[in-house]
Amino acid sequence: MTEAIATLKARKPRMSAEGRLLHMTALVVPLVGLAIFFLYPLAIIVQRSFVQRDGALGLGNYRDVFGMGHIGRVVQNSLVMSGLTTLICVVLGFAIAYALQRTRLPYRRLISVALLLPLLAPSLVQALGLIFLFGRNGLISQATGWNLQIYGLWGLVISNTMYALPQAVMIIQAALRHSDSRQYDAAMVLGASPWRQFVDITLPKARFGLLSAGFVCFTVTITDFGNAAVIGGNYRVLATEIYAQVVGQMNFNMGAVVGIFLLIPTLLAFYLEKVAARRETGGGSESAVPVTPTRSAARDLPLGLVAFAAALFIVAVVGTVVYASFVSLWPYRLDLTLRNYNITAQGGYAPLWTSLVVSAQAAVIGTALLFALVVAQRRLTGGAAKAVYLLAIVPVGVPGLVLGLSYVLSFNVAHPLLGMVYGTTFLIALCNFYHYHSQGFLTMVTGIRTVPPALEETVTCMGGSSLHGMRDAILPVMLPTLVAVFFFLFMRSMVTLSAVIFLITPRLSVGAVSVLRLDQAGFTTQAAAFSVCIMGVVLAAMGLMKLALHLLSRRPEAASSARKLEVTD
Amino acid sequence: MHLKIRNLSKSFGQFRALSGVDLDVGPQEFVCLLGPSGCGKTTLLRIVAGLEPFDEGTLELGGRDLTRVGAQHRGFGIVFQSYSLFPHMTVAQNIGYGLRIRKAPGAAVAAKVAQLMEIVHLEAFADRYPWQLSGGQQQRVAIARALAVDPALLLLDEPLSALDARVRVELRTEIREVQRRLGIPTIMVTHDQEEALTMADKVVCMNAGTIEQIGSPQDVYARPRTRFVADFVGTSNLLEAAAAQALGPDVAGPLPVQKGTDHLLALRPEDITLTRAEDGEAAVVRVTYLGNSKRVALDWRGIRILADGHRGLDLEPGDRASLSVAPGAGVWVLP
Repeated sequence: MTEAIATLKARKPRMSAEGRLLHMTALVVPLVGLAIFFLYPLAIIVQRSFVQRDGALGLGNYRDVFGMGHIGRVVQNSLVMSGLTTLICVVLGFAIAYALQRTRLPYRRLISVALLLPLLAPSLVQALGLIFLFGRNGLISQATGWNLQIYGLWGLVISNTMYALPQAVMIIQAALRHSDSRQYDAAMVLGASPWRQFVDITLPKARFGLLSAGFVCFTVTITDFGNAAVIGGNYRVLATEIYAQVVGQMNFNMGAVVGIFLLIPTLLAFYLEKVAARRETGGGSESAVPVTPTRSAARDLPLGLVAFAAALFIVAVVGTVVYASFVSLWPYRLDLTLRNYNITAQGGYAPLWTSLVVSAQAAVIGTALLFALVVAQRRLTGGAAKAVYLLAIVPVGVPGLVLGLSYVLSFNVAHPLLGMVYGTTFLIALCNFYHYHSQGFLTMVTGIRTVPPALEETVTCMGGSSLHGMRDAILPVMLPTLVAVFFFLFMRSMVTLSAVIFLITPRLSVGAVSVLRLDQAGFTTQAAAFSVCIMGVVLAAMGLMKLALHLLSRRPEAASSARKLEVTD
Repeated sequence: MHLKIRNLSKSFGQFRALSGVDLDVGPQEFVCLLGPSGCGKTTLLRIVAGLEPFDEGTLELGGRDLTRVGAQHRGFGIVFQSYSLFPHMTVAQNIGYGLRIRKAPGAAVAAKVAQLMEIVHLEAFADRYPWQLSGGQQQRVAIARALAVDPALLLLDEPLSALDARVRVELRTEIREVQRRLGIPTIMVTHDQEEALTMADKVVCMNAGTIEQIGSPQDVYARPRTRFVADFVGTSNLLEAAAAQALGPDVAGPLPVQKGTDHLLALRPEDITLTRAEDGEAAVVRVTYLGNSKRVALDWRGIRILADGHRGLDLEPGDRASLSVAPGAGVWVLP
C-alpha cells in the first residue's frame, strides 16, 4: 500500500508516447512469438503424453511405454552412449583446448580449422564418413580385411564425439582464454611448480567451462537423430525410438511420452548448469592480462600428438565423404566422376533451395526478434528482467526432436489459424529459430553489454527520441553482434536435422533430410554429394560472415562484441 | 535561467540516496557537487538531467516545473566521465548531432560546429573518428557536443576523472573559461576537492545523501561548518573542546553555545607552527616529505596531530617539538 502511494507520488519524467510504444512493441512481439511457438507447443506435448488411446486423460501412455519390453534398454542405451561421448569429449576437448590456448604448438590453426568441419554439415555426415571408412564396404575394412563392427554403440560414440567435440573445445577454450597471467606470476613467485599452478589455478578456473561443455555434449548427443539413424544399427536410442513411434507407427501420444523422457535429462542438465553458473563468482577482472603460452616439450609433445591425431581423424572422415561424393562405385570403382551430383531421387536439389529459404527466413526473423528482445529486456528491472531472461534461455534445454514433435502436434491440426502455417517454410524457419533461440539470445546479451548506457543517455539529453537512441547509440555498437547472430542462425538452420525431421511433408523437404533419405535408400554416394553441397553453402555463409566482421572491425570501437557463439544442436 | 531544487528526496528500495536537498544554481554559476562515492552527487545530477525519477520535492528551471519533463525535452547538455562519443561518427558529426536531431539547416549546423571546434581547439580534427583521438581530445569533443545545442544547463558528470593528471589540470582551466565565455549555468560532479576548489563559484559538499555545506571555495575551506567538510575538503586536525583550550585561549572564536557542547575544533596542518624544543609537549612520530613541504605527525597529549613545516624543517621521528597556533586560525565545527 505504502509502495503504491510512493509510486503515485514519484516525480517521474514522462517518456514520450512514441518511446513507450517502441519499447512495448520490442517487448511484446518477441514474447508473443515465444508464447505461440515455444511455450504452447511444449504445453501441447505434455498434454498429449497424457491423452490415452481411449481419449481420456491418464497415465495410460506412460504405462504402455514402460510396458514395451525394450524401453528400459533404450533409455539405458541412450544414457550409456551419451555418457561415454560426453566423457570422451570433455577429456579430449580439454586437451585440445589447452593445446590451442596455452601452448605454442606449431600449426595450431590447422587444428582449429579441422574442428570447424563437423559444424559445416548435418550431424550424420560423421556417421556417413565412418561407414565409408570402416563399414562393411569401407575403404579400410576392404584394404585390411578386418571386420570392424562399426554399426552400434562404438560407431555412434565415435561419430557423436566428432560432432560434439568442436563445441566442447570452443567452450573450454573460452574458459581458458579468460585467465589472468598475474595469478600465474604470483604463484610462480610464491614457488609453485607448473603442475601445482595447473591444479590450483588452471583447473579451478576451467571448472565451469568443463561443466558447461559436458552439458552441451550430453544434450546434443542424447537428442541427436542423424548419427543414430545412420550408424546406430540395432543399438536403439531414445532419438530413434521417438522417430519410430511417430513416423513408423503414427503413434503421436507415445512419441510425446518418449519426448518427455528426452526432455527430463536435458532440462535437468540445464538446471544443474545454471545452478553451477550462479555459484561461479568473481570472473576475470576487466583488466586481466592474458596468459602468454610458454614452451615445454614434456607437456606439448603428448598434447600435440593427441590434438593432431583428433584433427587428422576428423579431416579424414569428412574428407572421405567429399572424396566418396566424386567416386563412381564406392569402394570398388574409385574413378572420379560427377555423376553422384546428378541427384533426381528424393526431390533432387529442391530441398537444398528450401533449406536456403528456410535458413534465410530463420536468420532474418530471428535476428530481428532477438535484437528487439534484448533491447527491451535491458530496460526491465528486477523480477520481470529475470523472468524474460529465463524464458529466453530455456529453449536450449529442449531437444530438437522434442521441439519438432511438439510442432507437429500443435500445428498439424485443422484449426484455421494454427493449422495455416503447417507445411510452410515459415514454420520450419520458426522451429529452427526457437531451437537456437538461447544461443542467439546470450550472444545478443553479450553484445548489448558493450553498448555504454551513457551513450544512450547522451542521445536522450540531446533531445533524441528512443528511435534515435536505437539508431545512433545501440545499432552501431551492436552491428558485429547482429552479423554474428544472423549467420549463426543461418548456418545452424542449414544443417540441423533433429527438429525439422518431423516438419517436412511430401511436398516440402530440406537438405539435411535429403541426405538421410538418400542414405537410407542406398544412394550413399549421392548422400555424400548432397552433404558436400550443404557444406559448400555453409562454408560460403561462414566466409561472408568473416568478411562482414572484418569490414566492421576496421572500426576498432565496434569490434569488441562479436563473440564466438556456442554452437549446439 | 535559475535552477531551483527544494526538499528533494530519492530512495532506491531501502537505500536513501538523497534526503531533503535544497539547491539553487544561478544564471551563470558554476556549481560543483563534491563528495565521496555513494554520497548521492551523481544521483542528484541524473535527477536534474531527467534520467532518474525522484520521490519528493520540487525541481524548477526559470519558474517552470521540470518534474514531468523527460530528459529528451529538457534541453540540457551532458558530459559523462566515459566520453560517450558516437564511435561511428567523426568529430564534426558528433558535435553537430544535437542540432541535426533538432532538424537545423545544414549551413547552420556547419557554422555552429566550426565555431565550437575553434572554442575547444579541435579545428584540425574535424574528420577524425573518436578512436583516433586522445582521452583529453575526446572529452573536448564531448563538451563541444553538449554546448552545440545552446543548453539551458550544462551537466558534467566527473568529466575529468578518466584523464591523466596533466591533461586534467589543463582541461579544468579550459572548461572554466568556456563556461565563463558562454555564460551557461553548469553543475559538475566530482570527488576531487582540488578540482572543486579551483573551478567552482559554489561548492556543494555532500555526504550520505544530504548537503553538509554550500559555499564559495574559500568558505568551505576556511570556514567548514561540519566535521565532514573539514575532513573531506583538505585535511584538518579535529580536537575536542578541552584539548582545544590547551592549545591556547584564542585559537578560535568563542565556543558556540548550542544544545550540544560537543563541537570540535578544526585546525589546518598549515596553521600549526612547529619549533624544535627539548622540552616540547609533542613527540614527532613520522615525517612525510611532500616536495614543497613536510608533513609531520606528532603525538601531543595522546592525540595525533598533523602539522606542516617548510621543506628544510629539521625534525626526525623521536624528536620533541612545541606547537603554536595563530590566534583565530581554528574553526568550531559540528561533529
